[in-house]
Amino acid sequence: MRRSILSVGDWLALPVVAALIALCCAPLLILLAYSFFQVDFVTISHDLTLANYAKIAGSETYRSLIARAFGSALLVVALTAVIAYPVAWFIAKRVHAAKSTLLTLLLVPLYSGDLIRIFAWRVLLGAEGAINRSLMWLNVIDEPLSGLLFSPLATHIALTYNYLPFMVIGLWLAFESLDDRWLEAAADLGAPTHARFLRVILPLTVPGLVAGGLMVFVMVAGDYLTPQLLGGASGITIISAINDLFGTAFDWPLGSAIAWTMLSILMLCFGLGALAIRRSSLVAEDV
Amino acid sequence: MTSRSSRKLEGGGRSARPLLEAFKLTKTYGTVQAVRGVDFALSENSYVTLLGPSGCGKTSILRMIGGFESVSSGALSLDGNRLDETAANQRPINTVFQNYALFPHLSVLENVAFGLSYRDVAKSQIKALAMDALKTVQMEAMADRRPRQLSGGQQQRVALARAIVNEPRLLLLDEPLSALDRRMRKDMQIELKDLQRRLGMTFLHVTHDQEEAFALSDQIIVMRDGRIEQQGSPEAIYAQPETAYVADFIGGAACIPADVIVREETNVVLKSAFGTFTVPSVPSLSMGGKAVLCLRPEQVSVVQAEPEGKATLKARVVHQVYRGSDWLLECDCGDQIVQVLHRDTPPAVGDDVILAFDTSKVWAAAADPRVATLSETGAA
Repeated sequence: MRRSILSVGDWLALPVVAALIALCCAPLLILLAYSFFQVDFVTISHDLTLANYAKIAGSETYRSLIARAFGSALLVVALTAVIAYPVAWFIAKRVHAAKSTLLTLLLVPLYSGDLIRIFAWRVLLGAEGAINRSLMWLNVIDEPLSGLLFSPLATHIALTYNYLPFMVIGLWLAFESLDDRWLEAAADLGAPTHARFLRVILPLTVPGLVAGGLMVFVMVAGDYLTPQLLGGASGITIISAINDLFGTAFDWPLGSAIAWTMLSILMLCFGLGALAIRRSSLVAEDV
Repeated sequence: MTSRSSRKLEGGGRSARPLLEAFKLTKTYGTVQAVRGVDFALSENSYVTLLGPSGCGKTSILRMIGGFESVSSGALSLDGNRLDETAANQRPINTVFQNYALFPHLSVLENVAFGLSYRDVAKSQIKALAMDALKTVQMEAMADRRPRQLSGGQQQRVALARAIVNEPRLLLLDEPLSALDRRMRKDMQIELKDLQRRLGMTFLHVTHDQEEAFALSDQIIVMRDGRIEQQGSPEAIYAQPETAYVADFIGGAACIPADVIVREETNVVLKSAFGTFTVPSVPSLSMGGKAVLCLRPEQVSVVQAEPEGKATLKARVVHQVYRGSDWLLECDCGDQIVQVLHRDTPPAVGDDVILAFDTSKVWAAAADPRVATLSETGAA
């Protein structure tokens, strides 16, 4: 009986799985194929070549843009981790009745849309913005700070703010499954406070840190709007370069090659992250 | 690390001073008093059980001794030093937790070695000591496994090794056998008692299972509603229960309500709805007081004719349970159920029988205020 229900499920799932494969994987494979083609004046020649990848490896500009994208992503991961860690602990361990309220509040900004959040930061950070006005009113500064908006600082503040909820959710799940008895056991065995953190809490929340970190990392590396609208001169990113290549520059093959380079690096990061979670033993297979 | 200095085991070093003392120990959660000012003392090299139903405060006492709960009022002392002001990680006490609380990210060996890194032990010694502890509980073959790869009984042993490797002055066990199946529980009871004897350590064990308490303990502390109902050896608690509650909770004695009409040296004369009996009693009973006559199943027998020198009750068999070596009969004496252990072919359910007991072998305990009101209405 159970078996037949399962096989009915298989048949029902089949079209969905097929559609997912067709709609997700096929475009990526087309993109992969394009990355081995080349532009010949206004047409695309279909002779296979590695020239696009060679161009990326040889170009100082593309290399540094890619490095900057992942550097930014790492920085934002680190910032969100530091901020989210105590928040996640608080929600999981100190709040009882208001837990779902707090988690919902945490997600509310995500419902408001990227542009609204980005323009909210413009209002805060601009020359006539709330921060500059307050500081002037308090006589801390005589003229508006110009470096606040249209700078890497503004970009990273907004990115950290934008993706913080994902890190909090990842860590919150890890803290929820952290049994208080492990901490009692560690204290019972003589471990002082810092050792309880380093030897018990930290290793047991690593899966949450990795899961949250991967989400933030991938989303920041692919974020296009935030640097464009808040970064000013620093707003040129590898993603905006891909955009230009597919648009005005009409070099789809090179754009595809850069996209696939980014994708490969991200997949490598995902693989390493998955490996780290598996090795952390919390999801180890039972014997 | 003040009191964790000596590494050698001192099995015979008994002193007059008790190992652990509790003075008016109280725990309050909000408005609920979980522990209501209890006094007790544990001596060196003994196996002591805190026995009581859930919610009686036994776990709160254990957690206060371990340092996981603060003491609301009163005090604890260990070896004459104030204990309740010491942080949990500074106490020379280790705990075997109810669900073992083994660290899932560490191997069995790393779990056992965890506590040693905070003690005065050379780094090169740690692995050898942890392996020794694992050998003590026959788990050395599992040293490289992760806790989740072990069965409940194996995890139990590792938790035990992790605690005793630190050679605590006092080992706390919080319902350690409750997650095991019945057979495994019996085996572990024998092993725990053996281990306590071999190590010469004091074990304080919390349980709600009176059979377990009897199998293990030198001393039993029976708790109820945050107070100690009786403390003593298993024999004393079984044979001379002080209150109807203890008589009922330990071994399920039938408690027949009665009034004390005469107080003799060690005996009292009780007047009950079933007659007047002269029986040994707790010293606290006095003339005019309320008492219960405790009849244990093995003290009562079914007789054909009225025997000499024995008291009798008329009853009807209402239920029988076959238990392999004997039958347990439930007999109704008129608003009072008395259980009888019967060896031969038993009378049928519904038969009228005569029950007899030797008045010098049974016991009178103090009436329980709550039980008394119930049975008085029944007897009237």
